[in-house]
Amino acid sequence: MATTALKTTAMAGLTALLMSTSAALANPYAEYEGTTIVVSWPALAHFNAAEELVEEFMEETGINVEIDALQYLALRDRQLLEMSKPEGDYDVVSWVVMWKGEYVNKGLLTPLSQFFTDASLVDPMYDIDDIADAYLQNGGVVGGDLGYLPGPSGALYGIPFGAETSILAYRKDIFEEQGIEVPETYDELRDVMTQLHEAGIPALTSRGQTGHQVTAAWLFHLAPLGGRVFDDQWNPVVNSPEAVEAAEFLRHVANTGPIGIPTFGFGEAAAAFLQGEAAMHLDSLKIAAMSRNPDLSTIDGKVGYALHPVGTRCGAETGGFAMGIPANAPNPEAAFLFIQYMTSKQGDQRMVELGGDPVRISTLTNNTEGFDDYPVVAEQLPCADPNWRPLIPEWNELNIDVLGQALTQVITTDDPIQPIMDAANEQIREIMEREGYYIWAEHRGQ
Amino acid sequence: MSDVTIHAPTSAKPSPFSARSLSPYFFILPAVAVMFAGLVYPVIQSFYLAFFDWRIGTDMDDAPFVGMENFVRMLTDEGVRESLWVTMRFGFWTITIEMFLGVSLALLLEKPIRGASIFRTIFILPLMVSPVVVGLIWRYLFDARIGWINYYLGYLGIEPQVWLGDADLAFFAMVFTDIWQWTPFIFIIVIAGLQALPSEVMEASKIDGANWWQHILFVKLPMIKSILIIALLLRLIDVFRALEVMFIMTGGGPGRATEVLSLHIYNRAFTTQQLGYASAIAVLLIVIVSLLSLAILKMGNPMKDKADI
Repeated sequence: MATTALKTTAMAGLTALLMSTSAALANPYAEYEGTTIVVSWPALAHFNAAEELVEEFMEETGINVEIDALQYLALRDRQLLEMSKPEGDYDVVSWVVMWKGEYVNKGLLTPLSQFFTDASLVDPMYDIDDIADAYLQNGGVVGGDLGYLPGPSGALYGIPFGAETSILAYRKDIFEEQGIEVPETYDELRDVMTQLHEAGIPALTSRGQTGHQVTAAWLFHLAPLGGRVFDDQWNPVVNSPEAVEAAEFLRHVANTGPIGIPTFGFGEAAAAFLQGEAAMHLDSLKIAAMSRNPDLSTIDGKVGYALHPVGTRCGAETGGFAMGIPANAPNPEAAFLFIQYMTSKQGDQRMVELGGDPVRISTLTNNTEGFDDYPVVAEQLPCADPNWRPLIPEWNELNIDVLGQALTQVITTDDPIQPIMDAANEQIREIMEREGYYIWAEHRGQ
Repeated sequence: MSDVTIHAPTSAKPSPFSARSLSPYFFILPAVAVMFAGLVYPVIQSFYLAFFDWRIGTDMDDAPFVGMENFVRMLTDEGVRESLWVTMRFGFWTITIEMFLGVSLALLLEKPIRGASIFRTIFILPLMVSPVVVGLIWRYLFDARIGWINYYLGYLGIEPQVWLGDADLAFFAMVFTDIWQWTPFIFIIVIAGLQALPSEVMEASKIDGANWWQHILFVKLPMIKSILIIALLLRLIDVFRALEVMFIMTGGGPGRATEVLSLHIYNRAFTTQQLGYASAIAVLLIVIVSLLSLAILKMGNPMKDKADI
């Protein structure tokens, strides 16, 4: 009896010792203690909020992190130059989703599968399925039939961080005063805008600055109204009836919204709403965190949130940022541990507490108190459209140079819209032809 | 008899390769090396790149050689044509108005009147502000929602204007901002020229009975012709280099209303990543600026007419 008890005690002691030893050995950060990684990301609200979490990461892991936070417009040039060198300075780069195709196409990023299959690095509790699918597809996956979405050849290059979808923010007080119902469809939204405009209230604020901003504003409406930029054979269809309808809607937005829309980027459009100069804001969910910030907003407590109105289909935007590892990163393993930490369940929860935006469904559903927008975002995400814009390497040129110019003409003149979009369609075709998209079609005699 | 031998001066020239003949070249070698590295090499590299389809993020050695394709494409590129037209219009309006205002103000403030030095100091303040800051200042002043210009126009009963969101108004805003910043430049070099004029000539013209207009038109302005040409030349080169203010204020928009050629080159190089093509447009820019500069120098070469300064 005593022998059995002794054996049991000895076994328990041995197990405890083994467990403690293996626990010590299992510290995934131990090997990289003292390593310094350099992170390139934009100087935007979500990333500023993340800096405290970076401090916590350094304390907990012993890995040093240097942040190179740049103005958003300067980020891509800097990252491209750094990643083109034989050995770069950056271990982690955060890109806006539009750049991922170009980065991968030029061989500048490392696929993350090699880290996710390394038991010494991957956290078994990480649960990647909990990250919103649209965010993961839009920000992190490259390949598939289209080249920028999942499919047989798709691979994961990044994890969303600072990602977003679109929701409708509206002024509850104005809607109540005017006796207006929250619009659920585009037809209703159009009527509400007209009604507000006739009452002397600027209706919906929007981006409208030439280039990327005005194109983004048009794309917000294109997907729900049933349009696309390309058909399945890479033929541009920006002059389709749906695309022209989206452009007409954008003109209606500019005509009924606050003064200055043709000069608005995201910041200016958001500021117009937050300073009480518009009744609605249909753009990124980031408006919710901004409206709670007393330094930015005069309308805290007056804002309601609703789903992005539906046209012929439900199709909210997906965008924002994702983080990945350059192919020439000096410390890729430590970089992976950093990305994993920042986007883990605990990291995502801390981001919410620090004023950032979550990427995980569980974080959204666990934090409904105090965050009126979270239930709406959770409901919106299943119909967020990862293909609301084509993330091909040529997109920047089409986006800024062709569509950006055409749509400026749409919102700053009264010219007929169909010819403007016809001309843009023709220009896009020429660029796609120059870039070799139709060579195979010609070869096959299609 | 002295034993000193006097040698007749030799008529033979020293060897061009002697240390004495070559020594001046050694002295200017560092300056030549710096000029080559900082000026000549980038220009040669631009010419070279113009024959390749090179994109940022790819290895230059792998860039395909495309021959004259970039130059041919440039000829039919609407963006190049429009931005060149914007640059020429922008240059015409800014330089004309700046020359007129700068010279007029210099003539008015030339005399040692009370308070002139304070006014001169205030007047040249815009020159001390960097173009990026100028862009930011005027972007907010012209802002449709919060700008002071709309605010004060409101007192006059004028409806708020979307200054930077309307093609004509945005172009006007760019011209106005440039005039605000660069008129002092013309003023400062013209006033320096006026104050260096010999007083005897001025007095002689007065004794001869020239009135105020004749004095300015037939004596002063002809005497500072070289200075005016230098001012014109420098402003012309500056106009073709202008980028920061438009970049900050409008980003070249709305549409291409304020996209000057150098901003178009920037966008081609760094936004659409076509460095080879951007280099070809940069070559065009160099050719245009060189031809215009030569034409202005033909009007009167300031280097030759030192006597009239």
